[in-house]
Amino acid sequence: MGCQCYIIQSGKRNRLGSRVMERAIELKRSRKIDWVAFGFIGPAFLLFTMFIIFPTIFSAYYSFTSWDGISPVIKFVGMDNYKEIFTSARFGNALKNTIVLTVIISVFENLIALVLALMVDNIRWFKNFFRSSFYIPVLISGIVSGFIWKIMYNYNFGTFNFLLHAVGLDSVKKDWLGNPAYTLFSIAVVLIWKGAGYYMIIYLASLQSVSTDLIEAAQIDGASAPQRFRYITVPMISGAFTINFTLSLINGLKVFDQINVMTDGGPGFTSETLVYLLYKVGFNEGRQGFGTAVGIMLLLIILILNTVQQKFLRSREVQL
Amino acid sequence: MERAQKKLKWTDVVLFVIVIFVAFLFLYPVFFAIMSGFKSNGDILKNPMALPNSFYVQNFFDLFHKSDFFTAIVHSLTLTIVSEILIVFIVPMSAYGIERRPSKVTRLIYIYFLAGMMIPFHLYMFPLFKELKMMNMFGNMVGPVVIYISGSIAFGSLLYCSFLKGIPLEIEEAAMIDGSSPFQTFWLITFPLLGPCTASMVILNGLGIWNDYLMPYLVLPSGRAKTITVEIASFVGQYTARWDIVFAGTVISMIPAMIVFILFQKYFVKGITAGAAKG
Repeated sequence: MGCQCYIIQSGKRNRLGSRVMERAIELKRSRKIDWVAFGFIGPAFLLFTMFIIFPTIFSAYYSFTSWDGISPVIKFVGMDNYKEIFTSARFGNALKNTIVLTVIISVFENLIALVLALMVDNIRWFKNFFRSSFYIPVLISGIVSGFIWKIMYNYNFGTFNFLLHAVGLDSVKKDWLGNPAYTLFSIAVVLIWKGAGYYMIIYLASLQSVSTDLIEAAQIDGASAPQRFRYITVPMISGAFTINFTLSLINGLKVFDQINVMTDGGPGFTSETLVYLLYKVGFNEGRQGFGTAVGIMLLLIILILNTVQQKFLRSREVQL
Repeated sequence: MERAQKKLKWTDVVLFVIVIFVAFLFLYPVFFAIMSGFKSNGDILKNPMALPNSFYVQNFFDLFHKSDFFTAIVHSLTLTIVSEILIVFIVPMSAYGIERRPSKVTRLIYIYFLAGMMIPFHLYMFPLFKELKMMNMFGNMVGPVVIYISGSIAFGSLLYCSFLKGIPLEIEEAAMIDGSSPFQTFWLITFPLLGPCTASMVILNGLGIWNDYLMPYLVLPSGRAKTITVEIASFVGQYTARWDIVFAGTVISMIPAMIVFILFQKYFVKGITAGAAKG
């Protein structure tokens, strides 16, 4: 959609010989500095560079040091932090937890979001109300959602065990967050609940962009409902799927608030993810050099995911 | 129109019943939190699923009495409002510069912003705090505001750039011919046309700032209340036996976000879909 708009727009620009554009093109030819553009972009560029790019570059540097975050003396230790990353059991454990949590979240978030979008798209009454209901959890902060579910998961007074007790299933009662076998799973449920509504909005938008003409034509040609779904709806929403899956993977990697409130990385290290490990070594153990090295690994994972997404999107566009 | 005339099918009713059930599951935790905010601690423990007996507001009195929650509310509001005003001043201008004065440099800057969007905050927070300390922005409200503005630039530029493509140039040209400067043209002619985009960005960013936890927790001065979210997180550790107070806090934290959502729903949807289409 956006792409088409742009083509039409640029066609118009050429036809009318826009003065603004002409001026810009003149400037480009004359190789003068466009001070007006600089005036427009300058403040944003400056802030962005100073408070995001500079600290990122310094992170890359600190990842080769044993900096504690306080002392003015910063000792260069070469590859030591990275050696520790590849040999320490704690990093391996955090990486494993991150992958498990992220994959569970992404798969179920997308599955549920897609089902929700299909339901909202097809429902006959109160469409808006239901769309809002599924989106409400997105509005709640990570800390508050973590707290609410922490209480619901509580062994003695929580909603889940209360319900199980009420229906006589006391044997199934569990320490949802305290038992290492269930901790990550219980955290994932909270994140899926909180995130699904966001991805539902994106699926819904792409479902609604499927033209009804196309579906009616298929109907006349005798395509059954499952066939229509498989051959019209699925290809149309595949772009949204790629975007959503990547977004949910990246957001899954960055989960922090819920873990902080619900388990603090525990019991033991069972819910310590990469971000949580980074935070703990940085602020509790005074090893910010090592923390930034963990951060660099996180960035690498995100870069890989983004590259894969771009590849997927591009190959899909060629097909369409 | 056609839809409304369609005959009622039994599948419609079945779907409706299923959706009601699913919506109930999604809303229950929120309902549970609000309900518990109006119950005494004993009632929350005795029967977590029961409705409040009466309109019980002691929790809220205790909350403001036992903690400095009022300061936290003021801090949250100040951070959100001040950051948003500055974001609205800075971000649309930058997108306008990128979109309306195209050159190799501006294209590079756009890519630079988008690439920066991938960097997770957790990666650069340690050096960032050091930098803030050197600039005297650590331990006061300036630091968080500056970080929120910087953090909103990439997504905001993306949103505004895609929106600007749909705004015809002719209006701006007419203003330019009448002798208005580029900055006047932007603020008086183009910016008002960007209203819906501004609303989307302000709402999505505002929600993020209102709900943010880690950064204000680390940057704001310790020893006193920080923001609503930070206060709630500290209660969880501090008042392990007084859930009622914490629930009162969560109600105060959730309600403004929900009111804004109900009033400005369509801007949420627009912002999310525009961001996803380009991201």
